Amino acid sequence: MPKPPPGVAERDFQAALRDLEGVVGREWLFATDEDVLLYRDGYSPLWGEAEERFPSAAVAPNSVEQVQGVVKIANQYGLPLYPISTGRNLTYGGAAPAYSGSVVVDLKRMNRILDVSARDKTCLVEPGVSYFDLYRHLRTNKIPLWIDTADPGWGGLMGNALDRGGGYTDIEFRDHFDAHCGMEVVLPTGEVVRTGMGASPQAKTGQLFKYGLGPWIDGIFSQSNFGIVTKMGFWLMQEPEAALQVSVTVPKRRDVVPLVDTLHSLMCAHTVPSQVTVASPVMAGNNPELVRLRGSGGVSDADWDRFAASAGGAPFWAATFVYYGPSKVIAAQWEHTKERLSGIAGVGFRETASYTFPLSDEQVEAVADKARYGIPSLNLFSSRSAPGAPPLEGHIDFSPMIPPHGEELIALTDYTGKVYADQGFTPSFVAGMMFHPRTMICFHAVPTFRNAADNGRTRKLFETLVRGCADRGWPIYRIHPVFQKLGMEMFGFNNGALHRLHETLKDAIDPNGIVSPGRYDIWPKRLRGSQA
Amino acid sequence: MNRFPLLALVAAGFAASTAAFAQEPPFPIAAWSRTTASAEDRGTPVERGAAVFNNWCSACHSRGPQNAPGTASLQNKYQGSVPAALQDRRDLTPDLVKFFVRNGVAMMAPLRKTEVSEADLDALAAYLTQR
Repeated sequence: MPKPPPGVAERDFQAALRDLEGVVGREWLFATDEDVLLYRDGYSPLWGEAEERFPSAAVAPNSVEQVQGVVKIANQYGLPLYPISTGRNLTYGGAAPAYSGSVVVDLKRMNRILDVSARDKTCLVEPGVSYFDLYRHLRTNKIPLWIDTADPGWGGLMGNALDRGGGYTDIEFRDHFDAHCGMEVVLPTGEVVRTGMGASPQAKTGQLFKYGLGPWIDGIFSQSNFGIVTKMGFWLMQEPEAALQVSVTVPKRRDVVPLVDTLHSLMCAHTVPSQVTVASPVMAGNNPELVRLRGSGGVSDADWDRFAASAGGAPFWAATFVYYGPSKVIAAQWEHTKERLSGIAGVGFRETASYTFPLSDEQVEAVADKARYGIPSLNLFSSRSAPGAPPLEGHIDFSPMIPPHGEELIALTDYTGKVYADQGFTPSFVAGMMFHPRTMICFHAVPTFRNAADNGRTRKLFETLVRGCADRGWPIYRIHPVFQKLGMEMFGFNNGALHRLHETLKDAIDPNGIVSPGRYDIWPKRLRGSQA
Repeated sequence: MNRFPLLALVAAGFAASTAAFAQEPPFPIAAWSRTTASAEDRGTPVERGAAVFNNWCSACHSRGPQNAPGTASLQNKYQGSVPAALQDRRDLTPDLVKFFVRNGVAMMAPLRKTEVSEADLDALAAYLTQR
């Protein structure tokens, strides 16, 4: 049997489990070793080590009232809880708790789509609703709205938004937390609050206006441990008349500077509506010379350009993005984009896909870049199925955020490539992903393993990257629980004033310290200083 | 968000919604209309298993490796000595199906009982082991 949470006596733990069973029923309380293993982080960088994070049990309520019941019991016995929604936040911890011994509150059974308004282009969902669920609902009912899905699309709207994930469509929707409108939260005391206009009981604008009256409080429930969110509204994208996916290429390494500057300007002018990925056809690949260059750090532009020429002359950079809207407008946007970029010598323009909507099922199946059209899929994993590709046991994401400047992208890849190489890892090439209007995220998939020795190397690499990038002005935007303490250290202005504020709020909102202790290094008073 | 930005560029196909298979309606029993708490009890175990497969497995394991990373992975692993698509396998046993659902393998994370309930797992095993 799993051990009780730290500080909870076995007898009290057993009593608490009986009470939890009384709330959710025997079928939905999980307290055997076998059950608890289902909540293990399959990509844990601590796999099999004493510090690996395990829950003591899991409980799966099916209603707000049951969530309240669970919270009440947790307060009574001092049980640490760890709510998850769909539990698919892999690479950022999966379903495993930040604090070992927590009881996972698995909200997957709360998977109801409570409302979709085709007229207002909004939805209201419970935590367990997945991207696939809502997508299928819209397709089945022929509702001309799009979701904005994460990629891979196996997670859900609420969890991804609360951890501040993102997607690929129009700017209004692809910052998932920004696209939410109104939430319902069970506070650690058991009280239920609704935010925004939803706090006005008869309001007809709960999913239409975010702020309500008074301070806008929603933000404190993201990446936090201040409550269990049980409903969230989201704005959905109106299905456009058409879409055009394009690729803009530039020949030389330093061309990325005007390329990104111009695309950023076009994005801010709402001429380029979608997420933009700036990748390098030259730097991607596994030939030994290329890998050596990626890991060298500081290879000159001239040397990179010579390598590109010797390797077949592929354009050094390719930017991929999509226009959505009426065909005539798209044509004008594309023409304007080409005019703006025409000053880069050797620039190339290519239309890679065009669609008019709605798509038939067969057309949906044929879409290559599904997330850009709000279609959830797991196709991302196809990259792991290439012939000869080594089986990957898992990875965690290192996700620094940089300004939308080409020279920063070059500097980042120079730096992280060398860190990888110096520590014996194959330096991966990293693209600049313009999810947000004024930054780029540069994901690095750091491999994890099923043995302590290799994971020790991984953890050292990860810590070096976190610290080194923060020192260079590129802190991360999101991080795996094993590294959340380290991550928050990077946000230590004024001797950790922000962290102290988080914990001041924690003490006020969660006086018994029961919800997600340790998540993003926010600890309740009773556990503060007790962990490494 | 996309975590393999370059590799994602080669991804193609869609597997979740439209498997062309007689026992799989395009969008069977979407989760929005139910909760896992009220287990599906409609149809035979095999019919219910088909719905579970479509809901939870087909995005990776439908027919056609170009559309399904799990199928592509099994093609690489077995090199055609057994069919790559799980629906075409005739050597699966209920215990084997249940093992991989609950334990995962490589990139595949386990599915919890709140995702695929024990009753749904029995049905899925029945579906994938029908002869």
